[in-house]
This record gives sequence, structure tokens and C-alpha cells, in this order.
Amino acid sequence: MPTFKPGLVHTPVTPFKQDHNIDYDTYAKVLEFHIRNGADALALPMPEGEDMSLTDPELRKLLEFAMKQVKGRVPVIAHASDAGTSIAVDRALHAEAAGAAAIVSNPPYFWHPKASMVVEHLVRIGTAVKLPFYIYNPPVESVGTTLSTEIVLDVIKRVPNLAGVVDASLDFVFMEEVMCNGRQLRPDLQLIAGGDFMVSSGALGGTGAFSPLSAIAPRLARSLFDLCRKNQFIEARDTQESIGTLNHAIKSAGESGLRDGLAGLKAALGSFGRECGVPRPPVRGLGEVERGRLLEDLAGMTFLKAEPRGW
Amino acid sequence: MQAPVTPLKDDFSFDGEGFAKMVDFHVRNGAPAIAWPHHKAESLNLTIAERKLGAEIAVKTVAKRVPVSIFVGTLSEEDSLDIARHAQKIGADMLLTISPYCRRPSQEEIYDSIVRIGTHTELPVLTYNSPWRNGEGVEFTSELTKRLIDRLPNYIGMKDASFHSEKFLEISRVALKMRPGFAIIQGVEHLLAAYPLGACGSFSSSGAIAPNLCNKFYKSLVDRDWDTARDCQFKISRLWRLFKEQYPSSLKGAMIMMGRPVGPTRSPLPTATKERVEFLRTQLEELNILQTEPHGW
Repeated sequence: MPTFKPGLVHTPVTPFKQDHNIDYDTYAKVLEFHIRNGADALALPMPEGEDMSLTDPELRKLLEFAMKQVKGRVPVIAHASDAGTSIAVDRALHAEAAGAAAIVSNPPYFWHPKASMVVEHLVRIGTAVKLPFYIYNPPVESVGTTLSTEIVLDVIKRVPNLAGVVDASLDFVFMEEVMCNGRQLRPDLQLIAGGDFMVSSGALGGTGAFSPLSAIAPRLARSLFDLCRKNQFIEARDTQESIGTLNHAIKSAGESGLRDGLAGLKAALGSFGRECGVPRPPVRGLGEVERGRLLEDLAGMTFLKAEPRGW
Repeated sequence: MQAPVTPLKDDFSFDGEGFAKMVDFHVRNGAPAIAWPHHKAESLNLTIAERKLGAEIAVKTVAKRVPVSIFVGTLSEEDSLDIARHAQKIGADMLLTISPYCRRPSQEEIYDSIVRIGTHTELPVLTYNSPWRNGEGVEFTSELTKRLIDRLPNYIGMKDASFHSEKFLEISRVALKMRPGFAIIQGVEHLLAAYPLGACGSFSSSGAIAPNLCNKFYKSLVDRDWDTARDCQFKISRLWRLFKEQYPSSLKGAMIMMGRPVGPTRSPLPTATKERVEFLRTQLEELNILQTEPHGW
């Protein structure tokens, strides 16, 4: 299998109209913005794209729309995750037929099955397609199953097209163990930072990143990514700190129990002249006071001065 | 920093002589500081009297060659205060502290505990950040760290066992601005991911087995030799996978192979069986540890 290396992957939000329908006109602009602002690839719809809040037909239509809009300019990694294995498998097959470059899947949503069943779930998705397959370790705050090193090693053994692990757990021990033990089984196994914390992952040999904050600060994310690719981890600290500051402000805005930052991200996008509406229920948009506080925080971040405004 | 294990005699009693040898071994093999008794040293399975005795032996054996940190975490805050007073009296250099165990403390409760201990001693204080999933651990968020730095002039650093890029970065970016020398020290050698983010060292798990590897690892970080650092980190990570189960039973078992027997592990933790020790021998050989690291005391 030729090696697919995704590089700096932008993870677009899904814009909604006031009636909560997907706003496809704006989605086209979102995709164009990412392509123009340094995305090596796109992954969609990731948690920032509110995949869980979309119906199955919407997920399919969204991907088809994105493929048409992107027209092969950058690879599109399709996210196929669900609670039920067969649903996730069907969605991965659809994505392959629609022309996705790779598939990324979570362990099953909601359930807490035994490790062997998590492996079975991921193996069935991965072996159903011929595309490079990535497995995603969700953030520590998330609900449901997470990946253990043992699960990853078992999936590597059974899925020949398993290309790598996208790690959003940000867990040093997991990353270390996956790299050192996983690479014994598959020497070209990729570690991809599942978020904008690229320094730790890069120091451990990670080569890519899924970057939600590229929606706000694509230049900063690119500069951080390039420093890490050049092994300049100490030099990257200042940029990582700026990204951390932005991340903290967005995530701590609002009252989401998951601290997923969805409401903050969309509010910030609006303030940068790229209005994408508010998240779908049950996620609450920011109240006026919270929004004001976030915008004030953003205004104080001088490192955002060089970032693009508008579309 | 090396965190020695606690040698026990065959009858499970504290082996003071063995402990002095253990401490001296670490200092002679390049430890920049000695920290005792961490979980690796079966801290909660030692009596308070044993912990004081061990602290005295550590301070006396080290004899100012490197700093000595005494861990004061216990089930009862009164015991922690008692150990802290004792550590100051016998000439220890700093304290490592956490709020009392098994309480699911709120941020306010952790704040109160640390302020109580930090104002009870003149020694520099480190806190132990140990968040677990499901909120069972004791977590020092960046906000709490900020409040404690504001409140305590002797709060100089943190042992970090969050092992999490975002949490680590939050603490380091807040703390280093307020107190530039604030020392963030990784628990166990999960150091490669944290060093570029501002970690300055680690409390070692493998140093009793492979001090040369630990020293080489740290040097590679300082030299920014990332390829060597990765090799060392992955080797240490494989060692940690051997040791972490029923920690420190396997570690103590492996020390037999290195000619540094430190006796059994106190219940309820198991003592490594003969089969386990033999398995560890094959693994240490495969990792080229048996062949390249110091044997005996």
C-alpha cells in the first residue's frame, strides 16, 4: 500500500442555519477557506464538525458535497464513527465509494464493551475498506470507550491497512507506548496529534496533526506544524503556548459538560468574520456575557493579529 | 531525580542498612537529587515511624551531596504535618506534598491542605499532581496552581503525573510566568513529550535498574538530540510496561538480577514470584540492560 501521509489536517466545522439545517453555502466557504489557508488535507466531520449531531443521510450528503467542492485539491479523510458497528461499517463503505482518501474511526460511541469487542468493532470497519485506516483515541473528557495500547496493537495485527493512530487523548504514556510497541509491529505506523498540541506528539515521532484551531488561526497552526516537522521542539514552545492560550479561552467559554469548545469555536469564528451559526442542540451557544468575555480574551491575544479575517 | 525503593528484610521489616546502600548507589550513579518515599517506595505501607527513620537515613547518607526531598503524603493530614516538621528538623531540602488520599477532594479542599502544609514549614514545597480518570485523583489545575503560587512563597514546583499535553501546558504557561524557576518534574520518565513544553526533569522509575540509560536520556534532551532521546524514551517505556503492574513488585524483582536485592514487597502488593523474576531477566537481557548497566552496589 503506498504510504498516505496526511500532514497538517484541518478539521472544518459544520455551519448551521438558524433553523438548525446544514448551511451548505457557508460550508462551501468554510472548505475554500481551509484549502486557501494551508490545509494539507481535510478530515470531516470530526467532533468540531459535530458528527454526532448529524443524521446518517446528512453525514453522507455532507461528505459528497465536500468531495465535489474540494475537487481533489487536497485529500479528504472521512470520519466514520458510530455506536453500532454495522452503521459505522456502512458509512465507511459509502465514504470509500464517494472518493475519500482515508477513513478515521473512533472506538464505539456510548458503549463500554470489553477490549476484545472494541478491537472487533475497529477491525470490521478497517477491513471493510481498502483505504488507509486511522483509529482515533478520543479526549479524556469524552464519554465512551478509549483506546488502550493493547487495543491498538491488536488492531495493527488484524488490519493490514491500519495507517496510524490519531491521538486526541493527549496522553504521554499512550503515545509513547503506541509508538514504541506499535512500530515494532508496523514500522511505518503514524502518530497523528488529534488536536493542536503538536509538540509532545512530534517529539515522540508523530508526523501529522488534526487541527481544529486552524479554523481561527491557520498561520499559527502552520508555523507550529512546520517547526515540529523540523524537530525544533524547544523553538516551538512559544507558538505552542499561544495555541494553548487560544485553546484554553475557547474551551473554557460556555457551559458544555464535555469542555468540547464547540460553542466557543463558533463564537470565535463569527468574530473573525466567518459566521457559521451556533452548534446544534443539545450543545448551547454562548450567552451574551460569555461571548463578550471570550471576545475580550481574543482581542488581548496579540499573536492573532496576523490571522485572516473574513472568508 | 532518583526515588529509591524501600529495601525490606525477608521478614518484611524495614532494612535500614540496605536503604543506606540504595541511596548511596543512586548518588554515586549520577542522581541530581534523592526523593523518598514515593509510591515506588511503598510509602503508604510504611509506618510513620519508619518514614521518619528512612528520612533520617536518607539525609545522613546523602550528606549534602545532592538535595533530598521528603514525600509527606499520607491518609491523615495530621501525619503529613508531623512528617513535614520532622523533615525540616533533620535537614531535608524540600517537601513533596499532596492532599490526603482517598477523599476525592474539591479544588478548595486541595488548596486548604497545601496551604496548611506550606505555611507549616519553611522548606520549599513541591505538590504532586495526580489526576485520574473519573475524578478520583488529586488534580492541580492551572487555576489552583496559580492561587497556590500567589499564596505560598515557598511553593517551588510540581511533580506532574497528568501526562497530558493540554493540562501540562496550561500549568507550565501559567506557573512559569508567575515564578520563572518553577520546577515541573515528571512522575516516572515520561519526559520526552513534556521536556519541550517546559518540564525540567523527572522522578525516575527505572534508575534503580538502568541509571546509565536514564542519564543518557536526560543528556540527549539537554543536547536536543531527539533521535537518541526517542530511542531512550522508548526503551524506558518498555521497562515501565514491565514494572507498572503491581508497582513496585516487578521492579524489586528485577533488582535481584542487577545484583541489588532489596527484598520482598509488603502486602497487599505481591512479591514477584521466581517465574516473574526469570521472565524479567529475559526481558532485561533483550533490552540490553543486563549487559550495559551497573551490577551490585
